[in-house]
Amino acid sequence: MLDLIELGLFITLLVVGFFAGTIVEKRHYASIRKREREFADVLAFSVRFPPDRVTPQRAFLVHGTVVISSDYFKTFVAGLRNLFGGRVRSYETLLERARREALLRLKHDARRQGAKLVICVRFETTTISTGWAASIEVFAFGTALIPERAAAIDFPARSVVAA
Amino acid sequence: MLVSNLELVPGRRVVAHYGIVQGSTVRAKHVGKDIFAGLKNIVGGELKGYTELMQEARQEAVERMIAEAQSMGANAILNVRFATTSIAAGAAEILAYGSAVQLDGV
Amino acid sequence: MKLENRAPAEGINASHENPLKELAWLLAGGLGAVVLLVFTVSFAAQWIAPRVPYKYEAKLAASLPPFATTPDNAPGRQVQAELQSLADRLALRLDMPSEMVVRVGYREQDIVNAFATLGGQAVFFRGLLGKIDNEDALAMVMAHELAHLKYRHASAALGRGVAIGVILSIVSADLGSSAAGNVLTTAGMATLLSFNRDQEREADEAALRALHAEYGHVGGAVDLFNVMMRLPGGRQSSGPTVEFLRTHPLTENRIAAISQWALKNGAAIDGPRRPLPAGIAALNKPEPRR
Repeated sequence: MLDLIELGLFITLLVVGFFAGTIVEKRHYASIRKREREFADVLAFSVRFPPDRVTPQRAFLVHGTVVISSDYFKTFVAGLRNLFGGRVRSYETLLERARREALLRLKHDARRQGAKLVICVRFETTTISTGWAASIEVFAFGTALIPERAAAIDFPARSVVAA
Repeated sequence: MLVSNLELVPGRRVVAHYGIVQGSTVRAKHVGKDIFAGLKNIVGGELKGYTELMQEARQEAVERMIAEAQSMGANAILNVRFATTSIAAGAAEILAYGSAVQLDGV
Repeated sequence: MKLENRAPAEGINASHENPLKELAWLLAGGLGAVVLLVFTVSFAAQWIAPRVPYKYEAKLAASLPPFATTPDNAPGRQVQAELQSLADRLALRLDMPSEMVVRVGYREQDIVNAFATLGGQAVFFRGLLGKIDNEDALAMVMAHELAHLKYRHASAALGRGVAIGVILSIVSADLGSSAAGNVLTTAGMATLLSFNRDQEREADEAALRALHAEYGHVGGAVDLFNVMMRLPGGRQSSGPTVEFLRTHPLTENRIAAISQWALKNGAAIDGPRRPLPAGIAALNKPEPRR
C-alpha cells in the first residue's frame, strides 16, 4: 500500500503546486502591473551620474528587496529539465516577478522619503535553497536624488506606456 | 541598437532616458555535460561545454534586453552590467541590465 | 533632456505559455529516455550473461563466501541431505548444464523463502519448509530454483543490476529536485523489474514441466501457490501491490498460468501427493484452521 500512498501524495503535491502556483503568480503579476502604473512618476535609471542640469540637494541610498519561492510543480519541471538542458521557463517567471517587485519596492522607498529620481540602480540576485525548493532573493539598490530646484528636470506627469 | 557599458558615448549626446531595461535567462545543463564535467574535475582545465552554455545564455540575455529597449523606442543601452546567479542545482540565471536611452546623431 | 520610465513589452523575459505543455514534453522525454536506456542495457546484459561460459560464473562464486551452507546439527544435516537428493532427482528432469554442480543449502531461519544464486547454489529456509505439507509442493519450489540455475538467471540479474545501478544513479543524482529523480528512478526500476518477472515466468514454466515429468501431475504447484496466498500480510506476499513494481508476478497470475500451461500441454492438474521426507516433515507446522 505504501507505494500507492507515496504516489498519491506526490500527485497531490504536484497538482496543488500547479494550481496554487498559477493563481499566486497571476495575482502577483496583476499587482505588479498596477503598481508599476502607480509608481510611473518615480524615475529609476542605472546611469552613474545625475542627468544634466540636476544639482542634487540630498542623495541617499534606497533599496527594495523581495524573496520569492518556487512551488512544487516548478521545482519538479526544473528537475526534469536538468536531464536535457535548455531554458528553464518555470524559473524565469519567478525571477522576472522578483526583479520587478524589488524595483517597485525601491521606488516605494524613494517616494516615501520624498524623492522622485533614483540613479545608479543595481540588482543582486541570490538563491536561498531549503533542501528541495529554490527561493530567489532579489535586492535592488540605488541612489535617490532630491534636486535643489524642483523645475530643473521636466518630469513627466504620467509615464508613456509602450504600445 | 548600440550596447555599451560606458556612461556616455563619445561624440553623441543623450536626448532622452527611458529607464532600466533587463534581459535574463535561466539555463540548465544536461546530464551529458554533467558527466563530462565530473570527469574533467579529475584532470582540470577548461570545461568547454559549460563555457559554451554560459556564452549562449549571456547572448540570449543581451538579446532580450535589446528587445525590451526596442519596445520602448530607445536606440541605445548604456551602463550595461551583468549578474550571474546559480539557482538550485544545475540551473544558472544570467541577468543583463542597463539604461535605455535615445541618442542623437547617426 | 527628457527623463521618463517607459514600460517595456510584456513576455520578453518570461514566457506566459502553458507550463503543462512543457511538463508533458519533459515527462514523456525523460521517462522515454530512461525506459529505453534501461531496456536496452537490460536486454544486452541478459543476452550476454548466459552465453559467458559457466566456468567464469563458478570462479566468481568460488571467490565469494558460500551461500549453500549446511547447519552443524544432525536434524539440519538430514534436512539438507533430503533437499539435495530431491534436487539431484529433479535435475535429471530439467536437463541442467553438464559442468554445473548443484549444491543445496539449508538455513535454520524462519524466513518463508528460497533462492537460487551464482555457482549452482540454491538455498532453502526453515520457514518455507515448515509451511509445505507434501513433496509435490516442495518439488515445485526446488524445480523452480533449479530452472533459475539452468537458465543462468543469477548471472543475468547481476549484469543487469550493475549496469542499471550506474545509469540510474547518474540520472537521478543531481537534478535539483528529488521528486524528479524519484520519478525517473521508479520508471527505470519498473522496466528492470519486468525483466525479473519474465525470468520468474520462465522458471515457473520449466518447473511445471519437470514436476509433471516426475509426478505425472502438477498439483504440487497449485498447493504451493495456495500456501503463498495464505501467508500473513494479505493476499500478496510483502511488496508493492501493483504488478509493474514487483519482482515476481502476482501470485494469482502464477496460479492462472498453471491452468493455462496444463490446458496447453494436456497435463493433469491433480493427482496423489507424495509425503515429505522424514527430516523435512518434522519441520512441518500444521496450518491454523480458520
